[in-house]
Amino acid sequence: MISQKIEKILQEVQKPGRYVGGELNSVIKDKSKTDVRYAFCFPDTYEIGMSHLGMKILYSVVNRLDYAWCERVFAPDVDMEEKMRENGIKLWALESGDPLDEFDLIGFTLQYELSYTNILNMLDLSGIPLYSKDRAELAPLVVAGGPCACNAEPLADFIDIFMLGDGEETTVQLVDLIRKHKKLGSSKLELLREAAKLKGFYVPSFYDIEYNDDGTIRSVTPKETAPEKAVKAIVEDMNKVYYPESFVVPSIEVVHDRVTAEIFRGCIRGCRFCQAGFIYRPIREKTPEVVEEQCRTLCEATGYEEISLCSLSTSDYTGLQPLLTSMLKWTTEDNINVALPSLRVDNFSDELMEKLTEVRRSSLTFAPEAGTQRLRDAINKNVTYDDVMKTVRMAFSGGWTSVKLYFMIGLPTETMEDVEGIAQLGQQVVDEFYRNPDRPKGKGVQVSISASSFVPKPFTPFQWEPQDTMEELEEKQKHLYESVTTKKIKISTHLTPTSFLEGVLARGDRKLSKVIELAWRKGCKFDSWDDHFMFDKWTQAFEEAGIDPSFYANRRRSFDEILPWDHLDYGISKKFLMNENKKAHESVTTPHCRIKCAGCGANRLNGGKCDARSEA
Amino acid sequence: MRAVRLNFSKTGRAIYISHLDINRMMTRAVRRARLPMWYTEGFNPHPYLTFALPLSLGQSSDCEYMDIRIEGDMTDGEVMDRLNAVLPEGVKILSAAAPVHDAKEIEKAQYFVKLIFADSEKAENFCEKARELADGEELLAEKRGKKGHRKVMKQINLIDYIYDLKFTTAKNIVNIQCVLAAGSTNNLNPTLLVETLEKAIGAEHEMQYIVRRKLITKNNEIFK
Repeated sequence: MISQKIEKILQEVQKPGRYVGGELNSVIKDKSKTDVRYAFCFPDTYEIGMSHLGMKILYSVVNRLDYAWCERVFAPDVDMEEKMRENGIKLWALESGDPLDEFDLIGFTLQYELSYTNILNMLDLSGIPLYSKDRAELAPLVVAGGPCACNAEPLADFIDIFMLGDGEETTVQLVDLIRKHKKLGSSKLELLREAAKLKGFYVPSFYDIEYNDDGTIRSVTPKETAPEKAVKAIVEDMNKVYYPESFVVPSIEVVHDRVTAEIFRGCIRGCRFCQAGFIYRPIREKTPEVVEEQCRTLCEATGYEEISLCSLSTSDYTGLQPLLTSMLKWTTEDNINVALPSLRVDNFSDELMEKLTEVRRSSLTFAPEAGTQRLRDAINKNVTYDDVMKTVRMAFSGGWTSVKLYFMIGLPTETMEDVEGIAQLGQQVVDEFYRNPDRPKGKGVQVSISASSFVPKPFTPFQWEPQDTMEELEEKQKHLYESVTTKKIKISTHLTPTSFLEGVLARGDRKLSKVIELAWRKGCKFDSWDDHFMFDKWTQAFEEAGIDPSFYANRRRSFDEILPWDHLDYGISKKFLMNENKKAHESVTTPHCRIKCAGCGANRLNGGKCDARSEA
Repeated sequence: MRAVRLNFSKTGRAIYISHLDINRMMTRAVRRARLPMWYTEGFNPHPYLTFALPLSLGQSSDCEYMDIRIEGDMTDGEVMDRLNAVLPEGVKILSAAAPVHDAKEIEKAQYFVKLIFADSEKAENFCEKARELADGEELLAEKRGKKGHRKVMKQINLIDYIYDLKFTTAKNIVNIQCVLAAGSTNNLNPTLLVETLEKAIGAEHEMQYIVRRKLITKNNEIFK
């Protein structure tokens, strides 16, 4: 279903397979027989978007309804965009080839802040007005969900409805809502009035924000049908919620090309820097039987040769041993590789190691996050030096010769001593390798250290903290490079302007909508790609808007300041976060949720239920 | 263990799948089809798949060949049916049989090329001049080649690679029917031929469609 116009430009671009659809298991429907057409948009390239589990889930959720058709849309690469603009071709959805302005719903997934300019670019390429207020009609309705929706205030002026929390059920509600109002011939306002009453629906235009002279928020006033606080939606039982029976199998190579099985949602750990660890609470597990059945079904439907057991901390899954024992029987027979990302060093058991050596050997990655015990305690990583050493010892005696270690620099309370600690820990891992008498002869060890820059995020205990300035981060990076004295350790760091901008947008307010628009008009897009990122254009955009970005990134907020996301309820109580913040500054840890409930408050959204507590 | 040669077509949206990606797609398709594949032995066992001759991105074909090795006594017809049930749009198995020729025997391939020009005058002009060039002794083009391990640009005379070349026009369309050198030693991609002709003539098409129709062996037999 590709028009001749599109066919012509396909001959002139790189990787045309990104733009044509027609992959196995993609869903084609008769558009004359569907009431609602949903364009699910991933604001990055095909290869990245097609790796994303959330899109696969929601695609199937909508296409299961006989009255709705969900299609996929990705951001065209720069060469394709140029051809589209040259030839007056609007952005199209992969399944039907129809332009986006023919759809009822346009849904963006907000996975990272640096994709925001791509959203504007995709709307513009579709000929759809950027600002919510300029779209008077009921359709297309522009919605957005995903992790960044927990503070998408910088996008508030562009988006009609933010979808907060788990999307499996609210997406169906949304489709039904627009179906009903289309039939009734309602106005957009009438639809929004009903939407605002639903759990998990946040209508930003129904909240008036007033500011103090110093730029902080004075008040947030709900109007129309909007509640005081918009509450995130959660799926009550992960065993009962719909999970796709098939995935679209990309015909071209994408980043993560495999069966992904979600084993649980939420996290028991409470690492103070980690947004995902808080916003997906309470913890809800799937039983090993359910996971195994879903894996088997998906393998049969896709032919994939790899399964990834996915969660925020896979070794915390209570059913991991029984699941692997049962699953490896048939995966080994069918030559299917089982990958276990997100393992922790403190509960990486001998049995797990044994299981891992049964599956194909890849590199091992662990995340101590900080170089010294004091700082690991401050961020509540709850990992000790001995844990790290025990795990690498096990890995080395299991035959691994390379390990990857993830760290962050710029964490609150960090000193230069903590930075040196990263290099020292790396060196100790190298030394541990040579202490192993059974190490493979003639093979050296490779320790890769990835030191990303910490960005404080909403709904974490560090939401009040100043982010290190670019100069501070660069100095720390330099110090880290200088502290390493062996070639067996390789270090990689992130560009500091990228982290700075991420920091601004992550805790930004509505005043930033204008800045995002200005930056986009100056040509900013694909900001998360180092080769596309144009910091000078962003700086100009801030200047023109009269906004100081360091106000958002580098300022310490007081506990009584109204934060831009305070009118959103993700279950986590602010008091709990404040308490965790204070403990961080005293380098005091909080035990994980299975040892002792820390009282975060998230189970309130699930009728008091939380799988972390069921054991105690 | 026995080898089955599958003749398949690549049309529609599937023409944008590269050779490398077709390989991966087929590996998954044989899994979904639950074919009794023979797996290579060794540390990383994988099903055995080979392809006769890669096809360029953007070209369609009904003469693609993939060899697989299976165990047991599944019939060729069942192998074909099972695969067709799980293949994506645009990739279709047309026949399955025991291999006759060795892929090394391939010497040339037949292509149909359709060029659409802005108007019939441009098409006729191209056609007329292209015939003259094709009748000449020399049609030089730059081609990427290797010198040892280094990648270099080398100049080749396309005439040496052309076995047959006919042009016809219909309104603004030029149809080219050609037989060009193909295989691992000498290979001429019809895209390069069109590019070279257009460059020499100073013409530029609006749209281009290329279909590979036949693979032909040294003994002038159709590859099977």
